[in-house]
Amino acid sequence: MSVLDMIIQQSINGLMLGIMYSLVAVGFTLYFGVLNVINFSHGDFFMLGGFMALILYGIADTLGWTQNVPLLIIYLFLGSMILTALIAIITARICVKPVSKAPMLISLLVTLGLGIAIREAVRVFYPRGSDPKGFPTLLPQGSLSIGNIVIRYENVIIFVLGVLVIVVVNYLITKTKMGMAIRAVAQDGEAAMMMGVDLDRTIDITFLIGAAVAAVAGIMNGFYYGQIMFNMGAMMGVIGFSASVIGGLGNVYGAIVGGILFGLLETFAAATLPMGAENKRVFAFFIVILFLVFKPTGILGEKVYERV
Amino acid sequence: MSDILLKMENVTTVYGRNEMLRNVSLEIEKGKITCLLGSNGAGKSTLIKAILGLVKITKGKILFDGEDITGEKTHKIVRRGISIVPEGKRIFPKMTVVENLRMGAFNETDPQTIEKNMERVFELFPRLKERRRQIAGTMSGGEQSMLSIGRGLMSSPKLMIFDEPSLGLAPILVEQNFETIARINSEGTTVFLVEQNANLTLEYAAQGYVLQKGEVIVQGSVDVLKESEVIKSAYLQE
Repeated sequence: MSVLDMIIQQSINGLMLGIMYSLVAVGFTLYFGVLNVINFSHGDFFMLGGFMALILYGIADTLGWTQNVPLLIIYLFLGSMILTALIAIITARICVKPVSKAPMLISLLVTLGLGIAIREAVRVFYPRGSDPKGFPTLLPQGSLSIGNIVIRYENVIIFVLGVLVIVVVNYLITKTKMGMAIRAVAQDGEAAMMMGVDLDRTIDITFLIGAAVAAVAGIMNGFYYGQIMFNMGAMMGVIGFSASVIGGLGNVYGAIVGGILFGLLETFAAATLPMGAENKRVFAFFIVILFLVFKPTGILGEKVYERV
Repeated sequence: MSDILLKMENVTTVYGRNEMLRNVSLEIEKGKITCLLGSNGAGKSTLIKAILGLVKITKGKILFDGEDITGEKTHKIVRRGISIVPEGKRIFPKMTVVENLRMGAFNETDPQTIEKNMERVFELFPRLKERRRQIAGTMSGGEQSMLSIGRGLMSSPKLMIFDEPSLGLAPILVEQNFETIARINSEGTTVFLVEQNANLTLEYAAQGYVLQKGEVIVQGSVDVLKESEVIKSAYLQE
């Protein structure tokens, strides 16, 4: 395998992984924009997305609805997105929103606690919740070979789906009235209220989008690795947060770029460095730290406009 | 008493520790410019926030167009036909001029009305039309001030509140702003002008109130205000 082949192969793998990270990072950036909160429970909504899909699959399986696979996949995605978003909206109302005006340390602790509560709830209430759970294989298996490069169909589907979700989120935020309200609240919440924006509703919608997108990532993750675990949100939370920081917290495009960059860093580290596979995240986080030192505002960091 | 657009009756608020209103009563007459004068920290901003439902009113009530709006949520109050040009402009810095104007008409659902109002704003401020695609945060202070006023007009409000329109602007721009306010008023919009600059304000307003430490200490027509000792000593000295 030539060096060029290796680069192309790893880029494909990295993009695949990166798009999943991007989907989680988008939520961090949205919440930070609208509520000025770094929501450390967000990774656990990624996990919840996976488990919701698993529960829904269990129901479908019992009822014998598993013949039509495309329909089953749509049902898993939509159902899990809705359920995960509902839980996110409710928990946000109960414990994220009330602390958003408090010092950042308080909201940080509260969201960390919320994340732990969700994680432990899954561990306790899901049957044998401490064990890894097998995820159904529904996407077409097999792969496409171009020269030495191998592309799994499953990965292509996951990647295309990820891009699709990003396009939809981008459309919602830039082109719809709802998105305009989200951006207005992010720039100046009180001024947005003065224009007639319903703040509570805008916050609900932001959590709906953030959690639904994280749920998509959670299901993708299940398909990709073939299993999910109650504590997988913790690491994903840190990765998603790092990705949003690399990109420039508060910037949706930044979160996407940051997520993909993190995915690429990981795969290239795993492929090229000695003992890379075990330490890929060490390397990726090392780069994140360098970023924070040399460019604290991130790649697409927001310029601060002076109010004259 | 149908010529009263907004009425505050014995309004008391608690907001932080320092700024609060105590038993404030005032009336804003339809079609006129009513002013509120007061020094920094007198509670002028709190009074505006009370009208807009942004601070908690502990006693008293506020009526708009004869209906009680005390304790209503901000977006609902605004929908009744109140618009504000806030202190410090508060435009959305990362949005374009057109997007900012659209935010001003956030609760307007008819695209034709939005289009018509935007034309009116562009007629009033041709400068904004030239810069319609520009990111608002990159414009000059004067232009941002135009945008803030234009945004306030977008909802075809019954009452327009101006919070310190003279703050931080060059004297020539301040004069221009007041001319614009007079024009908006002459076209039929009731204006509530909240200012520190008493000299200029009293030239334009019909009647007004003076606020000090959260209480109304003088009220009446402009002539009454001009003659009042408080204003003479505290605000009209050059």
